[in-house]
Amino acid sequence: MIGLEVVGLGRCHGDTRVLADVDFDLRPGEIVGIIGPNGAGKTTLMECLVGLQPARTGVVRLDGIPIDPGARSAAMFYLPDGIMPWSDQPVWRVTGLFRDMHGSGRDREVTVLRRLELAPVLSKRVGELSKGYRRRLLLALALLTPQPILILDEPFDGFDLRQTLHVMELLREVAAERALLLSIHQLKDAERICDRLLLLDAGRRLGFGTLADLATHAGATKLDLEEVFLGLTA
Amino acid sequence: MVSRLEPTTGARIAHLFGHELRRLASGWAWWGMLLVLAPLVGFGYVEAVRLYGEASVTALQSTELARGLTPLDGIAVPTFGAFYLATTLLFPFVAIRALGQDKESGALKLILQWPLPTALTVATKVLAVLVAWTIGLVVPLSALGHWLVSGGHLGFAETANLILGHGLYALTVCGIAFFAAALTETAASAAIVTLAITLGFWVLDFASGSGPEWLRLAGELSPTQALKQFERGLVSIPHVLGLAMLGVGSTALASLVLSPGLTVAKKVVRLGVGSGALALGLVLASVVSGSVDLSDDRRNSFDPADEAVLRQMSKGLEITLFLSRDDSRAREFQTNVLAKLRRLVPGLKVVWGDVGNTGPFGAAHDDRYGIVTYDYGGRRVESRSNSAREILPILHELASVTVVASDLPPYRGYPAVIDPTPAGLWFYGGLPVLVLLLGWRWSHGRRLPAHLRDL
Repeated sequence: MIGLEVVGLGRCHGDTRVLADVDFDLRPGEIVGIIGPNGAGKTTLMECLVGLQPARTGVVRLDGIPIDPGARSAAMFYLPDGIMPWSDQPVWRVTGLFRDMHGSGRDREVTVLRRLELAPVLSKRVGELSKGYRRRLLLALALLTPQPILILDEPFDGFDLRQTLHVMELLREVAAERALLLSIHQLKDAERICDRLLLLDAGRRLGFGTLADLATHAGATKLDLEEVFLGLTA
Repeated sequence: MVSRLEPTTGARIAHLFGHELRRLASGWAWWGMLLVLAPLVGFGYVEAVRLYGEASVTALQSTELARGLTPLDGIAVPTFGAFYLATTLLFPFVAIRALGQDKESGALKLILQWPLPTALTVATKVLAVLVAWTIGLVVPLSALGHWLVSGGHLGFAETANLILGHGLYALTVCGIAFFAAALTETAASAAIVTLAITLGFWVLDFASGSGPEWLRLAGELSPTQALKQFERGLVSIPHVLGLAMLGVGSTALASLVLSPGLTVAKKVVRLGVGSGALALGLVLASVVSGSVDLSDDRRNSFDPADEAVLRQMSKGLEITLFLSRDDSRAREFQTNVLAKLRRLVPGLKVVWGDVGNTGPFGAAHDDRYGIVTYDYGGRRVESRSNSAREILPILHELASVTVVASDLPPYRGYPAVIDPTPAGLWFYGGLPVLVLLLGWRWSHGRRLPAHLRDL
């Protein structure tokens, strides 16, 4: 069980270091959450990881084999936050495009759309969707990709509690086949779904491990992620 | 792992191509262009038919006058002239939308992760945009259809060549639009950059007419200048290559800029190398020779017997013009004689004699002003004529040959008086309504596919 290993990933904007030699790993079937205050470098880390942004330093290995940035999209798919792709197209055309581009098959498309309860809005244009439905559509697109690693930026943003729990259940099922790396702003959500957590602040890794590991590292009195977060980012 | 059938690269390109076409048809940019094209092209055509008809009334009485009436100049070029305006001013908005909107909406971050190389993705988008442009050809072609159905004449080769020229020009505009969209963050900025470049070519054309030599040479590379060759019924290899290189090169630069995971420094280096290669290609294309005259009236050619002799003049003909470039005689000489000689005489050298910078009026006191000298094989002849009929015998004399004109029948011309009213009704009424109906129908045609209907 090797999975993904990230060693010393770093990125600079001019003289400013936005990501400083971050190390972590992701095992098959695991959900790792990236948490941290605003501007911690969560999105930069994910985009460097998948090869959309250039990393200045670092090695990314999959099952022990280093993979170049240009080849990473074969192993991982990244779903950015706050995007509204193809807003003038109906939902079914967008999901159909992803199905066709990745060869996912109609049965899989039907299953994904059903699980994400997108049937009522299939004929609507993407630009007409509510924030919740738009987020569900984006998740559907991610689930129609075949890569063994899914990287999702703020997957629960725009959902109410019930919807969040439903999506968490779905992602847990997905994690049985694929590994997930999630950037999560809400600590309670991260605590609920993640097996391990990567805490970033100002581009630096402040901690990585299970909640118990982080609590020990932070010297927290109880297994509470908020207390750990405040303790480590103080 | 998810069970699936891996699509081939070809299948992926086909899916992306279909998606891009559907997007173009879903947006009002393309339908809007078609809507504006209808009255714009219609006006150009209706006015051309009216003027051609007025000229034809007299020409029908005189064989000599009829020879001056060519449908290429009288009908096809003015009709496509309006289309050229739309390609320059409206088409960039259609092209930019295909890439700029993806950047703005964030879709590009998803697209760049698809299992397709960036260059293929960009090329597929460009192809879809060009197909959309080609569909727009229906508007000017319907005008030409009306001309033919009403009894007018069109030379197939010269008309096809004109369409080829406009197609290459559209490729150039599309490439520039994609490059601008790749460089800028928003579609609006890309539109400003594209229009600045395409309208900049107009300024270059204007400035190169009376500017210094380097500006004149730069003007030769302008797409609008290249299009003029096609409008004269000429397939000029350097101009075909120049337009194609500019279009394909700009598209390639766009894909270089869009390639993910590159640092700014690497992008700048790639862009610099790519731009340098493109500039070199354009310069090399401009020195390539070769052209085919497809015009019905052979306006770019001499008599075949004259041409055979001129092709043999390999001792280095040098023509010196003591004329200002702005002088109408110089322009006439260039069109009627020089352009044709350049196509035929190997190693032709043209020298502009020193007539000062005061133009035709200021130089009038100079006795030599207006003289053109012809040097060949150690012999020199001077003439003030700018007519091929007088100049060709001079050249034959220099080459020491006698030429017997071939029995090629003279161009007879095609005068025609045609009523443009039905075309006016089509372009100002029928076609715009049809475009609106089709646009509305397309935007409301969102029927679910069968496998999703029972979801």
